[in-house]
Amino acid sequence: MLKDRNIVVTGALQGIGRETVEQLASYGANIWACSHFLDSSFLAFCSETAKENNISIFPLEGDFTSIDSVKSMSRDILKSKLPIDGLVNVAGITKDAIFQMTSSADLAKIYEVNVMATLILTQAVCKSMIRAGSGSIVNISSISAIDGVEGQISYSASKAALIGATKTLARELGSNNIRVNCIAPGVIDTDMNTNVPEDILHARLNNTSLKRMGAPSEVADLIAFFLSDLSSYMTGQIIRIDGGMA
Amino acid sequence: MNILDKKNILITGCNRGIGLSTMRLCASFGANIWAHARTYNEDFEHSCSLIGKEFHVDIVPVYFDLADKEKMLEAVKLIRASKAPINGLISNAGITHNSFFQMTSKANLQENLDINFIGPYILTQYIIKLMMRNGGGSIVSIASSAAIDANMGRSAYGASKAALLTATKSLSREVGEYGVRANSLAPGITQTEMLESMSEDTIEETVNSTSLKRCGKPSEIASVAAFLISDMSSYITGQTFRVDGGM
Repeated sequence: MLKDRNIVVTGALQGIGRETVEQLASYGANIWACSHFLDSSFLAFCSETAKENNISIFPLEGDFTSIDSVKSMSRDILKSKLPIDGLVNVAGITKDAIFQMTSSADLAKIYEVNVMATLILTQAVCKSMIRAGSGSIVNISSISAIDGVEGQISYSASKAALIGATKTLARELGSNNIRVNCIAPGVIDTDMNTNVPEDILHARLNNTSLKRMGAPSEVADLIAFFLSDLSSYMTGQIIRIDGGMA
Repeated sequence: MNILDKKNILITGCNRGIGLSTMRLCASFGANIWAHARTYNEDFEHSCSLIGKEFHVDIVPVYFDLADKEKMLEAVKLIRASKAPINGLISNAGITHNSFFQMTSKANLQENLDINFIGPYILTQYIIKLMMRNGGGSIVSIASSAAIDANMGRSAYGASKAALLTATKSLSREVGEYGVRANSLAPGITQTEMLESMSEDTIEETVNSTSLKRCGKPSEIASVAAFLISDMSSYITGQTFRVDGGM
């Protein structure tokens, strides 16, 4: 489905990002796997996944709290001279706190990683896509940005920024045949839920139509759909993957 | 790409346009298909068998008018009697209609509601029953961007599609725990015979308002429907996918 496509995935170290690397590899894509640090187990994961699927994975290090680091990572991607067919912006951080207890430092840091770094990287990658005359960008937002979730002021506001960015970029880049879409996951079985109290988690799952958590691989499949030609007439969309919530 | 391998699905309105394209694409992805058309015709029988042979899948034509509940029930019985469990329904068949609000007769309104809403609603009721017995399935309702946006002359058509869209969302809440998912698709301006009911100016204006600056192809609607039927979308339910080039 994605045979010979070259795709950049950020936040590849764990959770949805890591699963996305695995899934896209199984669909035949070559991948730049970006992470804020490269340890030996991640490098081993990259090389094993590449070998298994007979594709290439290039691990890249970039600190998303530093614009300079993101810029230098972008240069590394562009230096390869390979056409970039897709960009998946997964990298993101969260720190739960009620509004009155949220420090300006935390607000700024979450915004820097989730929005600023994401857009700076997107700018760089876009250049290559515009030159090639096609591309697909997938931003990962959250239902928290649409529904609001208590205690997630900085996270939800930053993820809402990505929704606005998605819609505007879709408008600006459409005539270059670059599609930009956004995914809003609900409760997905990743480390991000480890701090959510049991009773709240239970109530959230009970509110879904499917009465269960989503698997990271299910989000990865929606990402693959948006990168593939299956979605060639879709752009500017915000799609919830949440098992159905009222 | 065999994302619909071993799936048995019913697609309504396969005679032309989006339905025909969806039948072809789903067959190419490995699905066996009950292909619905309103009335028997030899060309349709022929194209069903050609597509079936090309992709090594079974395509069985079924015929009924969406306004004729008795005929619909006969077709459902045929589906129930076959050994293959039904995994998917793509409710595509519909009519289009353009008239100003003040010029829309009760008969126009009734026809839009009958074919675009009540027919698919009742058909889905029958099919859901079979799916729940089989332990799951996926419903895809083809609505329209006219169900969401305000378009002149589309009050009757848009309202009938909005009804379908809302019913699908509500349904998704009811059947989720039985493993049945229900989503809608809202195509924008698509290269089909339906375009013939629009003036050239309106078409140009609409195309210009899209981000991709072009009409959609029926196959581009079909591919999203196929995704929603497939297990690739296993955690997606109650959603409306706009396939409109960005409006």
